[in-house]
Amino acid sequence: MKFFDCNISFGTLMLRPIRFAETVQELLAEMSYYNISEALVHHAKQRDDSPLIGNEILLKEIEGFDRLHGTLAILPLQTGELRSIEAIMNKMRAKDIRAFWAFPAEHRYSMSRTALGAFYDLMVERNIPLFIHINESCEGLTGWRLIETILADVPDLTLVVTEHGSWGQDRFFRPLIEKYENLYLEISRYELDGGIKDFCKRYGAERLLFGTGFPGWNPGGPILMLAQADISMRERDMIASGNLERILGRVRL
Amino acid sequence: MKLSPLIEEFMQKGRSESCPIIDMHGHLGPYQGIYFPNPSSEDMIRTLDRCGVKMIVSSSHGALIDTRANIEMAKVVKKYPDRFRAYWVINPNYPERMQKEIEQFSKTEGFVGFKFLSDYHKYPITGPRYEPALTFADEHGLLVLMHTWGQSPYDSPSLVEQLADKYPNLTFLMGHSGYGEWEKAIQIAQQHSNVYLELTAAYAVNGVIEWMAKEAGSRKVLFGTDLPWFDPHYGIGCVLFSRISDEDRHNILHRNAEKLIKPYL
Repeated sequence: MKFFDCNISFGTLMLRPIRFAETVQELLAEMSYYNISEALVHHAKQRDDSPLIGNEILLKEIEGFDRLHGTLAILPLQTGELRSIEAIMNKMRAKDIRAFWAFPAEHRYSMSRTALGAFYDLMVERNIPLFIHINESCEGLTGWRLIETILADVPDLTLVVTEHGSWGQDRFFRPLIEKYENLYLEISRYELDGGIKDFCKRYGAERLLFGTGFPGWNPGGPILMLAQADISMRERDMIASGNLERILGRVRL
Repeated sequence: MKLSPLIEEFMQKGRSESCPIIDMHGHLGPYQGIYFPNPSSEDMIRTLDRCGVKMIVSSSHGALIDTRANIEMAKVVKKYPDRFRAYWVINPNYPERMQKEIEQFSKTEGFVGFKFLSDYHKYPITGPRYEPALTFADEHGLLVLMHTWGQSPYDSPSLVEQLADKYPNLTFLMGHSGYGEWEKAIQIAQQHSNVYLELTAAYAVNGVIEWMAKEAGSRKVLFGTDLPWFDPHYGIGCVLFSRISDEDRHNILHRNAEKLIKPYL
């Protein structure tokens, strides 16, 4: 089975994890240990520092490493920090960047259409996925309430929610899965016994993406869980890599 | 990269004859805040079989709320004696029932000790209402599985430390290993022969298993899953892929637990 990790990062975090990868070489060594072939990667400084700093560090450090696929952290365009949609698209074409991350709590901005409308229009028009951690928050909204608010504003957005936690989330996310067909779940913390099988039986395997949440979470958990999930090999392959490849493949740069 | 044969075996087969896992932190039945696809004892046995788990020691979810449901676990152990042992839940909010329940516990087969859920019962493990159960457990050398959580006013590692010397004959299983307050929890397990670190949920934190094995020793770490909450393969994968030796993996996944539950088999 080929593992394509959609949620992995490297670099120095403000709050030190127990184990982490400082450099891209260390990240690749970690991926090799876990037999992770490829990764959609972000850098610690894309969240903990300004995206102006973090985006450039990431693009520079992963240059030339075919196993690593970059992402860009977004900001509202109204401050001019990220210049313009054209400038962003030029960078994405030049570096083959096919996904965005939003860190609204750290970077202090609203996820409303008023703030991010130009980005949302770009994402929908060009099928570019947006990744967001379940614990993100802005303007008093957090968790699945924030996710629902984003999708109510932009129902056609391809949105990937990461690390949704293990303490009973199905009652929250299943109604959203049924309503928004471009909502995806990253499975690094979908530990529920029988959860993946039950989800696939009801919704198919298309909506789940393999991710580890490294460095915070232990990649061994989702790897063995998915390798032994009580679903078909085809479904395992879709979750492990096929779904992410499909999502990135339909991006129009 | 070449992995340990034990990891390869689990990746290929999902289980290992040489590593018959014992889960020291299980439950049973539906619960308030979560949807379980596999909550019944029969569902759980299917999961245990799939994951190579030989035995699980559980407390009934119902008993966490109303301790009169402890008897459900007695029935399950009687029905599946090769797969289940049980903890008797103590709820300190009904102290008038405790003496009678301890008597009932002592007459009922299949239990290895007590389960405390102090964070949820909102009563500290060091409070006087727990004393009858702790004294009884100490007198009889029982196991006590405590939900423990970092910085909790009810069951933090520091509170476990206060009890460890006072009750030297009972074995404290720090459920969730005092989640988040790792350094203190590991130190207590290292310094007290009767305190063990239990891995439910803790295993997911990257690097914590290596830390435990290095500082407290793998002989002080126990495997658990909260089943029917968490897929055992998730926790097993966390242990297997941690940078520890196969000896450490065997200690954590079954050998330590085998020694602890041997008197109850």
